[in-house]
Amino acid sequence: MPRGISYLALGVVCGAGIVAYVGGGAAPAATSPSDGVALFAHVFEKVRETYVDKPDEEKMVVGAINGMLTSLDPHSSYLDAKALNDFQTTMKGEEFGGLGLEVMQEDGLVRVVSPIDETPAARAGMMSGDVIIGIDDTPVKGLSLKEAVDKMRGPAKSSVRLKVLRGSAKEPREFTIVREIIKVLPVRSRVEAGDIGYIRITQFNQQTFDGVQKAIAKFRSDPGDKLKGYILDLRNNPGGLLTQSIEVVNAFVDHGEIVSTRGRTADQAQQYNARAGGDLSQGKPLVVLINGGSASASEIVSGALQDLKRATLIGTRSFGKGSVQTVLPLGDNGALKLTTARYYTPSCRSIQAKGIEPDIKVRENIPDDLKGKVDSHGEASLAGHLKNGDDEKTGSEAYVPPDTKQDTQLIAAVNLLHGQTPTIGAKDPAHIEN
Amino acid sequence: MIRKVSYLALGIAIGAVGAGFGPSALSAVSQSAYAAAADTYRQLNLFGDVFDKIRNDYVDKPDETKLIEAAINGMLSSLDPHSSYMDAKAYREMQVQTKGEFGGLGIEVTEEDGLIKVVSPIDDTPASKAGILANDVIVAIDDEPTQGLTLDQAVDKMRGPINSAVRLKIARGATKDIKEFKVVRDVIKVQSVRSHVEGDDIGYIRITQFTEQTADGLKAAMEKFKTDIPADKFKGYILDLRNNPGGLLDQSIDVVNDFIDKGEIVSTRGRNPDDAQRFNARPGGDLSGGKPMVVLINGGSASASEIVSGALQDHKRATLIGTRSFGKGSVQTIMPLGQDGALRLTTARYYTPSGRSIQAKGIEPDIQILEDVPDDLKGKDDTKGEASLKGHLKNGDDEKSGSQAYVPPDPKNDKQLIAAVDLLHGVKHAAVAPTDASATPSPAPAAPAPAADAPKTAPTPKPDGAQPN
Repeated sequence: MPRGISYLALGVVCGAGIVAYVGGGAAPAATSPSDGVALFAHVFEKVRETYVDKPDEEKMVVGAINGMLTSLDPHSSYLDAKALNDFQTTMKGEEFGGLGLEVMQEDGLVRVVSPIDETPAARAGMMSGDVIIGIDDTPVKGLSLKEAVDKMRGPAKSSVRLKVLRGSAKEPREFTIVREIIKVLPVRSRVEAGDIGYIRITQFNQQTFDGVQKAIAKFRSDPGDKLKGYILDLRNNPGGLLTQSIEVVNAFVDHGEIVSTRGRTADQAQQYNARAGGDLSQGKPLVVLINGGSASASEIVSGALQDLKRATLIGTRSFGKGSVQTVLPLGDNGALKLTTARYYTPSCRSIQAKGIEPDIKVRENIPDDLKGKVDSHGEASLAGHLKNGDDEKTGSEAYVPPDTKQDTQLIAAVNLLHGQTPTIGAKDPAHIEN
Repeated sequence: MIRKVSYLALGIAIGAVGAGFGPSALSAVSQSAYAAAADTYRQLNLFGDVFDKIRNDYVDKPDETKLIEAAINGMLSSLDPHSSYMDAKAYREMQVQTKGEFGGLGIEVTEEDGLIKVVSPIDDTPASKAGILANDVIVAIDDEPTQGLTLDQAVDKMRGPINSAVRLKIARGATKDIKEFKVVRDVIKVQSVRSHVEGDDIGYIRITQFTEQTADGLKAAMEKFKTDIPADKFKGYILDLRNNPGGLLDQSIDVVNDFIDKGEIVSTRGRNPDDAQRFNARPGGDLSGGKPMVVLINGGSASASEIVSGALQDHKRATLIGTRSFGKGSVQTIMPLGQDGALRLTTARYYTPSGRSIQAKGIEPDIQILEDVPDDLKGKDDTKGEASLKGHLKNGDDEKSGSQAYVPPDPKNDKQLIAAVDLLHGVKHAAVAPTDASATPSPAPAAPAPAADAPKTAPTPKPDGAQPN
């Protein structure tokens, strides 16, 4: 069972909130006493007095905060100063020395969600679904995801050795990889089949909308007038910033609701609509590719484009993360990542623990040795996830073949935009369902 | 076989701690030194701040009791792997465990292919009186089908207050005839001591865990040997502590006292030097008549088991045979929190009579004997030991982790047991394990180094010449 999936970060960074917090000063527990806090203070005091060694009080409080947050749901967590810095780095799309892997934690080990194109990890042949069991001779078991990521990052040109289990192989493979500056490039694009604008978004950080804008502008000159339509590839995209997902939808629609969020109180309810004049797509047809690894901000985009009938969704059911986290700074003490709202697509559905069903279900041909290993378990299988009725759905394929010639979902998208029925390209007709 | 890691329970139950909490907790802070108090206050402020943010901003109204429980648990488990919060249910479970008795039916059950199956009814219990037999399959408890229940859930349903009744639907035999039994619950004592005469001249005692029943059980077993084995034939005792995860400190002290008449058994040291305690044998406590003794240990022998084997080794009272023990050298205190459950907090380290802490090191047997592990269990038969637990209390640079913890189900294949019997019979142990040149008796315990006040350094360096591992 997967534990903390830190990569499903859908964070709203509240600028105004930060200022109010720092300026307003802390409201200490004493001003709003509750039995709970008193009980906690009592236990804290007991530990301080009677623990076998003098305890580290800061560590105790961090342990308590972590315990409290992780008891709420799998996406609420405490970010210490360093984790907050990493989080901001990722969201800003800044650079760091690393390998170029997106990873998640599963069964106490670290699993590769996907290697990022043109990075040391991709060149070394690391693959989606690889399970990292050792980093420089340190066993991964017992490390948190953050600790493992920290060990993999480091100065450029330094090298790191990974022990990796792949597929059903019992013997680990070893990779020695030299770190490079990894730029979190969230958007990649190319012309597919001569006349289709293919845009892949790997995550929604502050560079994302800019990247999409540039890609669309480029398609205007190449392929120019020949352009048949767009493919927006959100497969294995874990999410990111809410604002960016809204901008991306707006690049393809000119009016209407994009998403609404609802928290506990009425004043936390917000509706986001398309800005008129925001549509850059000139009304060309659009296919969105999703799979079991498409989560959060990816689901906002695909849900909105599906509800607005702007795009045809191809692939497999998405992850099902229908909640919004807010990063609440704690002065010098890092920040909370707290689930503060659920979001709803324009037709008012919550995809929490259900995911988005593609309009045309197309499955990839999974190599035998990876079968059963490349599924995402989905939100509904996470311990403590927010519940959403009796028809929750779990588990969906999340494999993308490294070779685009074998990418059945991509081929189906191209064919659809070329006006063909989507059965071509799959050897096994059973792989296409509607 | 390998058991779950419930081992590490070495609890001293303390009665009336923490009855009244509330405002006093915060005022207690101000009594400490000012600087420390300010820092503590800052930490508690941070906590209160986070708690408030969650209360105000979380997507749903949070359950505040659960939040606080999770906070306490998070705080405690950040300390070490043996400190934790027990909610009301876990606390009751632990009390059942340490008390060694509960309201129930008196059957040992196991899960097999998703079915709850009777291993055996325990003699003189409601279950055996009602006629429940080994291999009966329990298909329903009070009309609720057991299909889909875990073993724990099924056991929970069968337990209950004394004199309450429970109805069991049972499928028996090849024909799977369904029979219904109505059984009235009674006090069931968990046998923590089992004993028999090994061969015809050795008293074999197995302690499965140290509960409130253990000292009495052991005394009864030793009394019985006196009648079952003629004094002139009696060769000695085997005390089997393999895979014994520990239990109550006072019971382990009592057990040691049954074999020695004087001297220190164990000492504990907390943070405050005034809290140091030394436990000595009561003169006249020795029931063993000075007969030779072998203690069997392995990687699953932890905590209270290590207190017993460490004391008997340091006193040269017993020869330890088997594999290195687990290495849990800390003491937890259980502190009840009103009706809400309890804290289990590490409050002390313990030291064997020679002043050594076995924390994260374990006890080396005097004679190391490895069992032959069946191929399909190889690699799964080891315990990783204290030293491999995340956040364990550190103990110098020579920590040791991982040790065999397999006991063959058939005593005929039990090389450790056979070595113990041979030793008591005076057979040379080299003949027992010819392929294993490990029959090196351990060096004499170092000169007793009584409670030096540097608890973090290892008391005496262990000579480790010929100890293969």
